[in-house]
Order: sequence, then C-alpha cells, then structure tokens
Amino acid sequence: MPGPLARSLRSPRVLIALGMILCIAGCAIFSGFLAPHDPDEQNLLSILTPPAWATGADPSYLLGTDSLGRDVLSRLIYGARTAMLVAFFASLGAMVIGTILAHISGYFGGAVDWIIGRMVDVWMSFPPVIFSLILMVGLGVGLSKVILAIVLVDWTRFCRVLRSEVLIVTRNDYVAAARLLGFTHWQTILREVLPATLPLVITLVSLEMAIAVVVEAILSFVGLGVGADQPAWGQMIADARQYVYQSPSNLLLPIMAIFLTVTAFNLLGDGLRRTLDARLAETGR
Amino acid sequence: MIATIITLIARRLVAAIPILLIVSALLFCVLRALPVDPAAMSLPPNATIAEIDAKRHEMGLDRPLPEQYAIWLRGALHGEFGQSIQFHRQAGSLVATTLPATIQLALAAMVIAAILGLGGGLILFRVRGTILEPAADLFSIVLLSIPEFLWGLILLFVFGVALRALPFTGEVAPGLPVPHITGFLLLDSLLIGRFDVFLSACRHLVLPAVALGLAFSPTIMRVLRSSLFDVYHEDYIQQARLRGLSERRILVGHALKNAALPTLTLTGVQFGILFSGTLLVEVIYSYPGMGNLMVDAVRNADLPLIQTIGLTYCVVVLLINTAVDSLYVVLNPKLRLR
Repeated sequence: MPGPLARSLRSPRVLIALGMILCIAGCAIFSGFLAPHDPDEQNLLSILTPPAWATGADPSYLLGTDSLGRDVLSRLIYGARTAMLVAFFASLGAMVIGTILAHISGYFGGAVDWIIGRMVDVWMSFPPVIFSLILMVGLGVGLSKVILAIVLVDWTRFCRVLRSEVLIVTRNDYVAAARLLGFTHWQTILREVLPATLPLVITLVSLEMAIAVVVEAILSFVGLGVGADQPAWGQMIADARQYVYQSPSNLLLPIMAIFLTVTAFNLLGDGLRRTLDARLAETGR
Repeated sequence: MIATIITLIARRLVAAIPILLIVSALLFCVLRALPVDPAAMSLPPNATIAEIDAKRHEMGLDRPLPEQYAIWLRGALHGEFGQSIQFHRQAGSLVATTLPATIQLALAAMVIAAILGLGGGLILFRVRGTILEPAADLFSIVLLSIPEFLWGLILLFVFGVALRALPFTGEVAPGLPVPHITGFLLLDSLLIGRFDVFLSACRHLVLPAVALGLAFSPTIMRVLRSSLFDVYHEDYIQQARLRGLSERRILVGHALKNAALPTLTLTGVQFGILFSGTLLVEVIYSYPGMGNLMVDAVRNADLPLIQTIGLTYCVVVLLINTAVDSLYVVLNPKLRLR
C-alpha cells in the first residue's frame, strides 16, 4: 500500500485542485509582472469601459475599467495576492492556536479540558460573521487586522474537531508505551500524538483557507477589510454592485475569482480527507 | 411527557444564561477597548473639552469597566439598551423594527433549504451505485463549498442583472406603501388588503431567500443521504422487502421516517447558522433588516447599537438551538426516558 502522500497525489481531485491553486498563487506572487497596469492608477477619462471583446472598449484595458478608471484585470491579479496572503496566514494562525489547544485539551483532560471546552462553547455561541465584524470595528481596517480577526474567530474550528481526534489517539497503547519508555508529556504529544492527527490538521487547513478567502471578501465588500489602498475582490464587487447595469462584467469577474479559489481549496480539502484519512481511504467512500 | 419537555426547555434556558452573560461581557470589553469616544461622537464638533467631560460623566464612561458593565446589564434587564449615537433613538426599538424583516427572510430561506435538501438528498440516495453517483457526489461537494455570500452575488448577477427577471434591491418596489402593523411585510400587506404590495414583497424576497436556502441545503442533502444509507442496513428494511413491499413504500413508509430524525436535528442546528447568514444576504440585496442596520452601525462605530444587535443575534441563535434540542427529545422516544 503506497504512503498517504503518494496516494493523495494520485487522486484526481487533489491534482485538479492543486493545479488551480498554483495558478492563483502564481498570480499572487508574480502580480507585479503579470498586471498590465498599476492597480491603483486612476484614469478618470475612461471609466467603466467594457472588456476588450465588447464594442466601445479601450484595447489597453483588456477586461475594462471600474468606476474610477482603474484597470480591472490588474486589480483582479493584485486581489489574488490579498486573498492568498489572508488565506495562508489566517489559516496558519488559526491552525497553530487551535491545534495546540486541542492537543493540550485532549491529552491532559480534566480541568484544562473543561476550561478550553467552555471557552470554545462561548466563542462558538457568537455567529462568526457578527463576531468578525465587531472585531474589525475594534481592530480597524488593514491586511494584518483581517488576518488577526479571522484567526481570533476561527481557531475554534480546529480546536473542536481535533480535540476528539486527540482523545482517540491518546487511548492507543503506543502512546502509553511512549510514556513507559520515559518520554515526557510534551515529547509524547510531539512524537506520538501529533503525527497521528496531522492528516486531519492538513485537511482542516485546506478547508480553512477557503473560509478565509470568503471572510476577507465579505469584510472588504462591507468596507471593513484590507483598506482602500489594497486591491481586494470584495471591494471590486462592492464597487461594481453600484454600476451593475453599466458594467455587468465588473461584477461577474471578481465573483468568478472568489468562486474558483473557494472551490479549489474545498476540492483539495475533500480530496485530502478521502486519501489521508486511513479509515476513509480503505472503505473508498 | 409535557412535564419532561418543559423541564428540559427550562434546564436548557438556564444553561444558556451564563453563556449569555459571558458573551455580553466579552462584547462589552471588546467595544470599550475601541479607540473611539462615544461621548465626543454624540456632541456637535464645536463642543469644548469640558462639555465632553461632562457628557462622559453623564454617560458613565469615567467609571471603572465592571461598574459600567453592571449599569449596562441593569438597563438591559429593563429593556433599555442605550441610545444609538447616529439615529438618536433607543437601540432596542431600532432592533425591534428591523428584526421582523430578518425573521421573515430567515424563515423563507429555511423552507427553501428544507425543500431543496430533501429533494436533493433523495436524488443523491437514488443514484447510489449507478454511474451517476460520482457526478452527483462531486456536484454536492461544489454546492457545499459555495457560501451564501457567493450565492447572493451569483443569483443577483444571473436573475437580476443578466435576465432582469427579478428585483434585487430593497424589500418592495419603490413607490409602494410599506405598512407597519406587525413588522412582517408579507403579513402586513395582506392585512391592509394591498395584494400588489404583497406580490412585490414576494418577488423581492425570492432572490435573498433562495440564495440563503441554497447555501444551507447541501448539508441537509448529505445528512439525509447518509442517514438513509444507515437505515437501509437495518433488519426491518430487509423484513419489509421480504414482506413484498415495493421499494417506494419501503422508502416512504419506513426509511424516510427513521432517517428524518438526524436530518431534522441538523436542519435545526443549520437554522441557527442560517439566521446569522441573513446579514450578508441583506447587505447584498439592500434588504432593510437587522443585518443592514448592523453594518450601518459598524461603519459609523455606533457602539450601543452594535452591542444591542450583536447580542440579539446571539440570543436568537441560542433560542433556536434550545428549541431544536427540545424538539429532538420530543421526537426521539429513546431520550425521553432519561
């Protein structure tokens, strides 16, 4: 039987998803080279021009311009950078906090487990959208603030799911054996428990990235996101929503960008879940 | 049995109180930590420092944080949530006027989610083992991955802008009267006998409700399918088959009844999440509910209003979860014994 990683890389879902994510990440990393214009450069003489294939288009703006005469294609490409930065760092942060707390909670049990469990309960009684909006009022706009808000809201997703997994893993004989061999608690968690929960962590990170992309878009759409100086898909949607009849493509393009990114991350998460999880992989479901 | 249910609901409500207290305290601390001064904001820009200080004293902002929270809590228990800074009205009454519109949207979305979820779940179950299964599976994954925010925008684009089939701004066509009797526009328009208003309100409700319903139906679909899978492994299904019942009667008479319980529980839990999802859909469609009021308050740093609306969302979600728990016990005889 091949290793879980090799198995994942043979799954068509994972491959398609990785291909899509690589394309988007490429746009994000090389946006300086790919974008034909400065995304913030305004040309008030040609506002809301249609895409190049429509009549009345300006050929220097391939996908047209927005209400301030900014190049839509360049803003889409730079928007990918914003989305990917948020997806990467927010899910990483949420993962670190959630995973550490879940392992402490599930491994040690008792009072620590109870306290962390109640904390998660209180956190989750707050609807995530409302919670992140309130946090953004407190934190103010900006890329790092959006990341921080997502981390502060979403660590519970990791904590809750992983804790029960840690509970199961900790009951295994090999964990007790490690303790008998003289491993400290932390060594046991790091060397015996964490490797067993890692597949689930990776899957959750992939799903969290999809969530982070959407949350960033939502916050930018509402005007409480990365700030006006940073191109973001949510902002583009908010702008296009006002001029929807003059320029419908301006609305469609960022929606498509978010849709493709979110689908890619979810497809990856689903593919990883099926291939990394030994129990699921055996039944083939 | 009724006594059991009442005890259960009471116990759940009591358990919700500490959560509410902690949530409201948390909300209070986050909002007080902000670099905005509600006293300065509620005065005209030419106010002197002394006037601002007097206002701060009047609003109780110069007292220690726990004391401020105690004052707020005492007011909240009497239904006084403080005055909105931008509207100069009681935050509680602002919420009360917008809440019915949000509830109406959430209920309509729930009905749509349930219908789509039930239908989709049955289709997913029926295609099991056929060549269509992988396709249906992939389709449900894609559906599952589209949140209400994207559905709202996609439907707005397709049916509002491209096809121009349905309106996508507001809750009723401009120029028509908006009656305020119960606050539920569909009901009110019928009460005043204006069928044209009712029809317009229905047309305006379609896109937001379907967007929200679509986002929540795939979870229902998948749970119904997997509970049907589980039920079909039970002996009584085999026995029904041996008795010569048709597959349709087995499905409707035996399987669906037993698969309904987990599906219903999940639908209830989803309703809690769906309720908070109304916020985004309201913003996208400029639907005048609590969500739009919240975004308005957030943009203007209207602290008393943010606090009141935030708490209202939490209370409604907690109430929905309590109701679902109780319903679960009512429907599941195994849990009633305890």
